Amino acid sequence: MRIKDLRNKRGQMRIIETILASFIIVAALSFVGIFAVSPTSPAYEMTDLEKMGYSALHDLDQQGLLAPIVYNQQWSDLRNILRITLPNDVYFNLTICNINGLPINSNPILYGDLNTFSEAKNVASITYCLVGIPKLNANTGTYEANYSPLILVLEVTRG
Amino acid sequence: MKTRREKRGQFIIIAVMLTAVMIVSIGALMHNAITYYKHEPWEEYSTLIGDIEINSRRLVELSLASYTNSSEPITSNLAKWENDLIDAYPSSGITLTSSGAQMLSSSRIDYRTTKSSAQASFTLDIQSIGLEGYAFNVLTSVTLKIGTPTAINSTTNEIIAVVKSETGMPVTDLSAANFKIENATKISVGSIYDKTNILEYKIVYDGPTNALVEVWDQRGIHVVASQT
Repeated sequence: MRIKDLRNKRGQMRIIETILASFIIVAALSFVGIFAVSPTSPAYEMTDLEKMGYSALHDLDQQGLLAPIVYNQQWSDLRNILRITLPNDVYFNLTICNINGLPINSNPILYGDLNTFSEAKNVASITYCLVGIPKLNANTGTYEANYSPLILVLEVTRG
Repeated sequence: MKTRREKRGQFIIIAVMLTAVMIVSIGALMHNAITYYKHEPWEEYSTLIGDIEINSRRLVELSLASYTNSSEPITSNLAKWENDLIDAYPSSGITLTSSGAQMLSSSRIDYRTTKSSAQASFTLDIQSIGLEGYAFNVLTSVTLKIGTPTAINSTTNEIIAVVKSETGMPVTDLSAANFKIENATKISVGSIYDKTNILEYKIVYDGPTNALVEVWDQRGIHVVASQT
């Protein structure tokens, strides 16, 4: 009779120990979870958007595509190459400004709706500079290479 | 016997507590690693530096093209670029300093070889990211080497031209529009493979044997070579 009581108590203790152990593990996991930065947090989103925008412009410039398109004012081509370079769910609004900050593109270089930018929580803005390209003067047959800087202001957001 | 059993029970609790401590420690470490990486936008910094470096290089090329076509000096462009960068990135605290800028237009290297070249050294400081003294050099050149003209008939001559860039590799994308021969007409240009130079341009033209050959590469850099 006494031995049976002891065995019962030992079984109960094991259950209590297991419950306590579970509590400790759950508490530890919850504590760690407080510090987790979820992928949708603004810190992630802004950095990701800026990274994406910078990389897109830098890659296009490195390949020698960006400057000729910008200086020849091929706005629809510029929109298309940015659409190809950036992911589908990323909307952009590109403004080409002269060094005084005045926009020179008559048509908006835009993917998405303007409301998307006004309503979006996270809009990243990227600035990129270009110095100019040489142009062949058809009349004289010589190249004209003038320093004519332009500033590209790219706004990106996720739809 | 009873004491040993009690100790075993305590051991489980201690083991679980140690596991919990490990989870918390690893979690804290991981959190530090992730947030440190995320809050330091390295890619943006490297792209910003890349933007300035690419466009400084392009400006030297542009200045060389301008100098070889109209003798405009490089220094004014570099000074403007340094000032414009401050306006373009007002919050970054960018200071770009150039030094040792020099250009040569169709300078003779040896008999029948001439070279147009430009070089400049840059130092970049970006205050906002604590970057100081990032140095890079830009050297750009186009070399033109011409061979002895060969008469095809009484009016038509043929001349071989080798055009190389600063990398020492031949410039591949040239056509008749990029070449000019003084007092010559009916210029046609074709490219041929050569064992030594890899790529040569065969220019066939109606004109003098003693030819003055001019070339412009796609960057607009101009080089002139003559037989004398």
